[in-house]
Amino acid sequence: MTLDASSLKVVQAGGNRLRRTDRSKGASVALHATLIVASIIAVFPVFWVFVTSLKPDARAVEPTPKLFNESSLDNYTRVLSGEKGDFLAWFGNSVVIALMTTVIGVFISATAGYAASRFRFPGKRGLMMSFLLVQMFPFAVLIVPLYNILIALGLNGTSFGLVLVYCTTAVPFCTYMLKGYFDTVPSDIDEAGRVDGLSPFGVFWRLIMPLAKPGLAVTSFYAFLTAWGEVAFASAFLSAADESKTLAVGLQVFVQQNRTEWGHLAAASILVAIPAIVVFYLVQRFLVQGLASGAVKG
Amino acid sequence: MAEVSYVKASRIFSGNPPVRAVDELSLEVSDGEFLVLVGPSGSGKSTALRMLAGLEDIDEGAIHIGGKDVTNVPPKGRDIAMVFQSYALYPHMTVAENMGFALKLRGVPKTEIKAKVEEAAKMLDLQKYLERKPKALSGGQRQRVAMGRAIVREPSVFLMDEPLSNLDAKLRVETRANIAALQQRLGTTTIYVTHDQVEAMTMGHRVAVLKDGLLQQCDTPRALYDRPANAFVAGFIGSPAMNLKTVPISAEGAKLDGIIVPLTRSALDAAGGLDEVTFGIRPEALGIVPSGEEGMDMTVELVEELGADALVHGAVKIGDASQRFVVRVDGRTPPTLGQHVKVAVRDTTEIHLFHPESGERLEA
Amino acid sequence: MRRFLDRYWYAYAMVLPVVVVIAVLVLYPLAQGVFFTFTNINEGNIANPILDRPATYDVVGFKNYLNVLSGGESYGAFWSTLVRTLIWTFSCVFLHYTVGLGLALLLNRQVRGRALYRVLLILPWAVPAFISAFAWKYMFNAQYGIINQLLRSVGLPDPVWLGQSDWALVSVIIVNVWLGVPFMMVALLGGLQSIPGDLYEAAEMDGATPWQRFRHVTLPGLRSVSSTVVLLGIIWTFNMFPVIYLIAGPNPNARILVTYAFERFFSGASRDYAIASTYGVLILSVLLVFAAIYRRALRKQGEVW
Repeated sequence: MTLDASSLKVVQAGGNRLRRTDRSKGASVALHATLIVASIIAVFPVFWVFVTSLKPDARAVEPTPKLFNESSLDNYTRVLSGEKGDFLAWFGNSVVIALMTTVIGVFISATAGYAASRFRFPGKRGLMMSFLLVQMFPFAVLIVPLYNILIALGLNGTSFGLVLVYCTTAVPFCTYMLKGYFDTVPSDIDEAGRVDGLSPFGVFWRLIMPLAKPGLAVTSFYAFLTAWGEVAFASAFLSAADESKTLAVGLQVFVQQNRTEWGHLAAASILVAIPAIVVFYLVQRFLVQGLASGAVKG
Repeated sequence: MAEVSYVKASRIFSGNPPVRAVDELSLEVSDGEFLVLVGPSGSGKSTALRMLAGLEDIDEGAIHIGGKDVTNVPPKGRDIAMVFQSYALYPHMTVAENMGFALKLRGVPKTEIKAKVEEAAKMLDLQKYLERKPKALSGGQRQRVAMGRAIVREPSVFLMDEPLSNLDAKLRVETRANIAALQQRLGTTTIYVTHDQVEAMTMGHRVAVLKDGLLQQCDTPRALYDRPANAFVAGFIGSPAMNLKTVPISAEGAKLDGIIVPLTRSALDAAGGLDEVTFGIRPEALGIVPSGEEGMDMTVELVEELGADALVHGAVKIGDASQRFVVRVDGRTPPTLGQHVKVAVRDTTEIHLFHPESGERLEA
Repeated sequence: MRRFLDRYWYAYAMVLPVVVVIAVLVLYPLAQGVFFTFTNINEGNIANPILDRPATYDVVGFKNYLNVLSGGESYGAFWSTLVRTLIWTFSCVFLHYTVGLGLALLLNRQVRGRALYRVLLILPWAVPAFISAFAWKYMFNAQYGIINQLLRSVGLPDPVWLGQSDWALVSVIIVNVWLGVPFMMVALLGGLQSIPGDLYEAAEMDGATPWQRFRHVTLPGLRSVSSTVVLLGIIWTFNMFPVIYLIAGPNPNARILVTYAFERFFSGASRDYAIASTYGVLILSVLLVFAAIYRRALRKQGEVW
């Protein structure tokens, strides 16, 4: 019986493969052409920033843009040397803030998401609803009250205060995603863990977290990006001293009132984009799976 | 090693109206016993097991393990091990880690864990797979790992929740025997849940039959088969199921089509005052007799050939209605479809009578 | 009560951090923000703890709402801005969804180089928004932008993309579509992969054409993912301010509700917090109404979230 079933499957798979290779040449070309065009559109702006980053500011604004025009790495050396502001300090601040946001945000989302996935407790529905509500209000216009609270908590001007603010932005989505992801982990696993001698927290920490890697990857990515590229809160809440700025804030020095230093700005942008893209590359193989199970169960 | 007792333990699921999934269950399991909880789906058998495991609240009553009241003790304090229907192996751990996890949590030294895991692996023929992840194992191997995880713990009670239902038929029969033998060898008290009455009968020292959260009967397999306490147990235990029909009775006995089956004095006394009873007779207690002899007229509607014997399904008239009966006959000479045969009771001592309304066994 | 705590304490312990953070940093400011809408608070009369200056703003009742809802130009032309916001939101989400679904369908096939395509196509998601905004602003530049150079070279008219015309709205929509497609694509790709293959096989046995299989297997299979991501997409797009703010600036032709709230908040010496908060509350109301309708529509189809 088992033999029959498995041999049947082989036949089916073989059938599929046959048909797929049978796809007409035209269809194949069209498929690849579409994907190539889409990929070019997706990548081109970043590529163009890169091209621009190699040009001197004056060449970057020529009416007939060329791929290479007195290109060199000068912009990079100047940005990194701190001639235009303490780039490395900004970079360090951004890394610290983004990582803290990721760790704290994902951790508290995970605990909340786990509780929402596994336990029925009064107030759960209200909690999940309030997450949706939080997404609906443009919180940037609440900078004033937020600022007051940070002062009251003694966190104004500190990175930690900013991290907490970023967490409020990232947590609702992350909690939803992780709840959906935890829903796909059978609760038998929890129970086996309980019988094996774990407390509810032990189950969460030692069994569920290691199993939720794809979900954690997506939410980490999201939380990291939330903090990495944010401008409004960062410029409002961090002290004005140059060495405490984040990248996104610091880069504004390249945009003067009437003249934008496109070349330098481009070079700095590439430097900023690299860590984000590295994070993206590390998690990308989990993205599809993680996002799907989160969103399906939503 | 420990005995287990349920003392009027209930689990009530909130709802409108609340559902009593397990209703005042009282059950004593002695040390080293293999007890099977059996019942149709929704009978509360799994809930009863999970209450013992500490995975469900005990809303009323109490549960004792080894004489200790564990009603409010979390699972980890109950010294139990459980085998889940889905096995619930930790996907991110190897077989060895899965098996040793509970010991690791208890702070048992690494070398000791290793020795115990290896010993269990040897017992279950898993040595080759210790470094694999569960994903890389077959269904049968996973099942054995789940068993191993329970054994390594050396708990005072094993709990098994339909551990064989994900195996194919052949492997199930094989594993069934292995589990029973293993339990015999280890001598650990075991509570085993299944919906399969064959499993229940072949494995358990005693079998507890549940229905709608209520314990129907708890006895040895033989006793369940021979003296079912009510019509439900009679119909549930045994394959094919007992023929259970409502028939009129008189002082001479039960009236079936064309025949009167004589009943014992005590049975008639027990049915005193009733003009109808639920009459039960197992397929093997019926037989096809030559057409000249006395018996019920039956039209053969289906013949299931099992090899050694055959099951003949057919219609018999009782009163005005046509009722279906199953008769077990010799496999080499089954009747053919549509044939009219005479069916008679071979052994009148194998007749079971139940109250037509309450379903209780009628017997002195 | 004891029993209540016994049973739920670990659940509450696990949600506590989130609840505290949200309550302190969201609900309290939100309440204060709502209060601001009934005042004439601005940079000039707010309490300033650093200068040790007390607050001098007054409660003005519903005046802010009346001013905004009257639709006057000096208060951001609320109604026409709302219409523009709706155009922006629905065209963005529609394009996100259709393009995302199209690419997901292509990526869900057996294609050589699928992993590479996937990485490239998701890339826009990974680039910080302000950098994408900068890149596109540079490319859209009327004189030295690569887009206009391309259009000129093939003999097409080259509009002033980010000038005082509806092209500005078109530009920001293009950028936002570019930004938002990867998220939809990834979510829908996951949804596609979760549809069991034997459903397609069964449909094929029943004689369904590829279109019918798409219509009767794929789309229903994606419904639950779709309903979630479309709702999220609409909420996010409705409140998407960095793209517009960083690319078009305070250009009234690309103004949506949330960017106007920002303009009032940030621009000028007087920083009108009251009007900015009023806009925030109105945005929240619009989205709540929308979410309620959306939910009811889903429920009618037997889908509940």
